[in-house]
Amino acid sequence: MGTATLRLSRRKVLAIAAGGAASAAGARVLTMLVPGRPATAAAAASVSASGLAWASPLGSQRALAAHLLRRAGFGYSDAELDAAASMAYGELVDMLLNQSPPPLPAAPDTTSYQMVVRAWYSHMASSPAQFPERMTLFWHGLLTSDYRKAARFPFVLQQNQLYRSAGRGDLRSLLLAVTYDPLMIRYLDLDQSTAAAPNENYSRELMELFTLGAGNYSETDVREGARVFSGIRTQLVDAGGKPIRPPKYSAASRQQHAQQLAQLLAQGATFEGTLVSRQHDGGTKTFLGATGNLSPEQAIDVILKQPSCANHIAQKALTYFCAPNPSSALVDAVATRFRDSNCDIKTLMRAIFSSDDFKAKSNYRSLVRSPADYMVATMRALNRADLAPTCVKSGAGMDQILYDMPTVAGWPVNDGWISSGSWLARVNFAAAAVGAQRSFPSPGDAIRNQLDSVISADTAAVYNASQTHTDRWYAVLSSPEFHLK
Amino acid sequence: MITRRDFMVSGLTVAGAGLTVPPILAKSVFAATADGVHNDRVLVILQMGGGNDGLNTVIPYADPAYMAARPTLGITPDKVLPLNGSVGLNTAMPGIKKLYDGGQVAIVQGVGYDNPTYSHFEGLYVWEHADPARRQTDGWLGKLLASQVDSQGHPLTGCALGQTSTPSEMLAGKATVTVIDSVTSYDVQGGTGHQVAAPALYKNTPGIYGALFDQALSTAETGITALKDSTSKYTPAASYMPQSTVYGSKNSLATSLQLTAEMIVTQPSVKLCHVVLGGFDTHQDEDQRQNALLAYVDAAVSAFMQDLAAHGQADRVVLMTWSEFGRRVHENGSKGTDHGAAAPLFVIGKPVKGGLAGEYPSLTNTIDSGNLKYTVDFRSVYQSVIRDWLQADSVSVLGGSFPELALIQPV
Repeated sequence: MGTATLRLSRRKVLAIAAGGAASAAGARVLTMLVPGRPATAAAAASVSASGLAWASPLGSQRALAAHLLRRAGFGYSDAELDAAASMAYGELVDMLLNQSPPPLPAAPDTTSYQMVVRAWYSHMASSPAQFPERMTLFWHGLLTSDYRKAARFPFVLQQNQLYRSAGRGDLRSLLLAVTYDPLMIRYLDLDQSTAAAPNENYSRELMELFTLGAGNYSETDVREGARVFSGIRTQLVDAGGKPIRPPKYSAASRQQHAQQLAQLLAQGATFEGTLVSRQHDGGTKTFLGATGNLSPEQAIDVILKQPSCANHIAQKALTYFCAPNPSSALVDAVATRFRDSNCDIKTLMRAIFSSDDFKAKSNYRSLVRSPADYMVATMRALNRADLAPTCVKSGAGMDQILYDMPTVAGWPVNDGWISSGSWLARVNFAAAAVGAQRSFPSPGDAIRNQLDSVISADTAAVYNASQTHTDRWYAVLSSPEFHLK
Repeated sequence: MITRRDFMVSGLTVAGAGLTVPPILAKSVFAATADGVHNDRVLVILQMGGGNDGLNTVIPYADPAYMAARPTLGITPDKVLPLNGSVGLNTAMPGIKKLYDGGQVAIVQGVGYDNPTYSHFEGLYVWEHADPARRQTDGWLGKLLASQVDSQGHPLTGCALGQTSTPSEMLAGKATVTVIDSVTSYDVQGGTGHQVAAPALYKNTPGIYGALFDQALSTAETGITALKDSTSKYTPAASYMPQSTVYGSKNSLATSLQLTAEMIVTQPSVKLCHVVLGGFDTHQDEDQRQNALLAYVDAAVSAFMQDLAAHGQADRVVLMTWSEFGRRVHENGSKGTDHGAAAPLFVIGKPVKGGLAGEYPSLTNTIDSGNLKYTVDFRSVYQSVIRDWLQADSVSVLGGSFPELALIQPV
């Protein structure tokens, strides 16, 4: 880095943001980019009550590519942004949508959720197919679960693999697979549900949280749905799909059980859901207006025919990917395209990423990165997938532990993440990330690439006062700009 | 109408003029002076997340309908800790029983509301916003905090303890809530440089989240300063046993309540505290799981009350429990219970008027195919703790008046 302090004029920084031109290598000083406001502390303190807005750079191809990569994936290295920015926006969207994911690298113990989560953090940071990883996390937050229910079985891994493989296909296949997913079967008590005593948990959450939203079904539908989904159980099948007896478990034989199970899994055995007819209520049900001896498959079809279904999913996806409060017109428009495509998830996502709203000035930095999002973006910016174990440890303080959400409704979004304690945990993660680092990518490039050269006077001042690359990167990773997308 | 954003920006103007960190003692002791509340009373809210089974907490052991509905989960009369000839506490709650016998526990029976929902999220919303119609957007504690207790937005007045995010009850347009997971984790790590840099990044942040970001850091910074010396001023005078493990996890509530006691003892600004214990959604294995959780509540609350008394703080603290719903009268086929309606709750502390309040709902004359019909509107309990305990205006928080409940000793 240069030793001279080069103060860029505001006009020069604007030019960087607008044109995406590279700034002089070694420039370590930037200034606040806010139209109409000189970048001085005195002026910042006289801000009007309406507050300042970030100056949107999304008119530039490079900044728009960065915006998309932050949302459709988890961020980027300098080289990855260079490559993305050289593509036309539509091509970049298609490239992301058509990515095929490499499989999750095997965890040493597939029944340990922490090892699986660590492997996933590492994979989110290092997989070139970012969109499939993003969708896996999106579905994990919507079609929720809890690692505790997996007990000593590899169910967390299986569900993670399911969302990666089925999360970009059609909604019907995904919902059917989820209904028969071993972790879901346990999480929402399907395995406890019998014809004689149907358990309502899955039926209710499937409609309220996963597909329709409150107010779009009745309590009778919940009870009838519980009858439809009664009798779903998990079985172990060999590589040929033939049911096999799982190894016997007792507290005393824990070790032996783990070894026997690992051996079976290594030979290609998997757990799968199945409908056990003697536990299933085969009587006539009336569910969301449809009457008959409905099977789970038919019930999913009935749900998909509800007008509220496409809207519910579109609303969830728009809130997650596009805007904190998407307008009902936008939800309707995206839902219509989703519905017309037979609920094809790539069509849904293309509609979102291609919308004018996605590129609107008002949606620049309109979303708050979740803790997992923030930590993976940090790893990607620093080329440090080896920070995955730190991510696993740091999630709790930021209130996001993967496979351990506060409620079945998943995690909060945006302002729901902002609290004094969780922000301390975030800046402390930044400290841990830069503290262990020996060599860094250029922090000047980080200002340009990670923060689009659109930074506040505070961030500029702290960055300028930093004496080392460690402190400069700490300023970037702790800055409000880096927590937004 | 002044929004939280407007408020924060004007607050930052002051900060820009030289007061980088508001001096906590100058601001805090009677933060409420400018507001409606002039006393040193503290309210602690204990949320029992997931829908606690009231029938197996305060047990109608003399009612034959109880054992008939709970053939495997029912707690037999010989195991109940009797409060009178008809109801008694779960076996796991000897500490609460002792406090009850000492006149420090009000048990409000049959608490609920009209047309109950059986959804966790709707139920939570109703309780958190004190609104069965679910139209209010501010949490009731947040509204109370912002309008009557701490309109100036001081740190360490409204506290969420043992948590990492603001509970919805405390979220309101202007409410400032300090969220502290633990005293040791509540600091900027990595040395002095980082300790200066991190808050300096968040002084006047642009954008729709700017004010919230800045508020989070400013609250953290002030809280850190105050907490630095609190630990040296406090030694627990009771055994909280946070390491005890009954059902696979430690008693996190004990840790949270010990932190709450530390805050109350050392920080005169503390007014509203929120702690939570989850896991009460006992669709299966309720006999083991609920007993373990109630034992945690019992141990933690007992130690908390003992600790406060030893520090001479017992006269200024009232604790209230709540849960989003009770559970169905009849057990399900999985040794558990499904989502239900009305349930009892506890109001605990030396200032409390002890005894049973409200009527136990009938187990046979039920609503919605086997759910308890409430006898006490939950807002009557809120009204009592807001008006009779904190001496604040309950009508503006709750939007009206509700049937009277005498839960607090007249002074």
